[in-house]
Amino acid sequence: MMTKYQYMSELTHLLKNVPEPIRKEWLYDYDMHFQLAAQNGQSEAEAALELGDPRTVAAELLLSYRVGQAETRNDFGGLSRAVFATVGMGLFNVIFVIGPYLGLAAVLLALWVSAGALAIAGIATVIESVWIGTFSYMQALSLGLICCSLSILSVLGLRVLTKLFFTATLKYLKFNTRIVRGKSQ
Amino acid sequence: MNIQFKKGVLEICVLVLATSGDRYGYELAVKISEKFEVAVGSVYPLLNRLTQEGYFSTYLKESPEGPPRKYYQLTPEGWRHMRALLAQWTDFTRAVNEIIEEGLKP
Repeated sequence: MMTKYQYMSELTHLLKNVPEPIRKEWLYDYDMHFQLAAQNGQSEAEAALELGDPRTVAAELLLSYRVGQAETRNDFGGLSRAVFATVGMGLFNVIFVIGPYLGLAAVLLALWVSAGALAIAGIATVIESVWIGTFSYMQALSLGLICCSLSILSVLGLRVLTKLFFTATLKYLKFNTRIVRGKSQ
Repeated sequence: MNIQFKKGVLEICVLVLATSGDRYGYELAVKISEKFEVAVGSVYPLLNRLTQEGYFSTYLKESPEGPPRKYYQLTPEGWRHMRALLAQWTDFTRAVNEIIEEGLKP
């Protein structure tokens, strides 16, 4: 049994991390719902029951918001928040969403680090040879060039791969947004 | 009704209901919950998403009783989306019905 006040304050609390104008717009819908339900002779408790668990409602609202944000912002923080919002829906086993996501993100990160390391290795070879003389100038220069070109090639490839990772994740999340839960769940 | 059936169907219902004129959220929520059991609270997040995706535009209109209501209007893109979904749905249900009919033949 919930009154309108209890329902609205729980929803407000659950959405406290959302910027105020957006939260206000969302809450307006639910406030209106209670008012119109009252006009139709429904009690507050009935209307609250019909609306469903505020936690579910908040999770559903947050999900499409986070996905939309991740799309416009295009950074890892936004994408991760969207992934976690999906998990927050309780629709999926944590292992099935977070696991692959973290795994793939880690692989991508490792590849980026490798590309960076290759560039550093190339430059270091040249510097070291000039300094200590491990290789002759020509050897050092060709080794350095090979390393740096490999690094540049990797970066080009990785940029495409990272972009793919973003679009694929968002597509998957958006697909999940379409799922609306029934009352009995 | 089976929860699996409701996935996605709600979106079609909301879009189709809005074809016969602009609707406000409560109206849509009640219309749908009359027909089948859904958590009414799910209709509003869906409306938000469809608006965000450009299928609906919204405006506020005064009402004789109570505060102004938020109306949802199908955009041209929304119409296209609705028709595409409806075509998929019709094909799908036709195929399922055919299988059921053939399967139940003595």
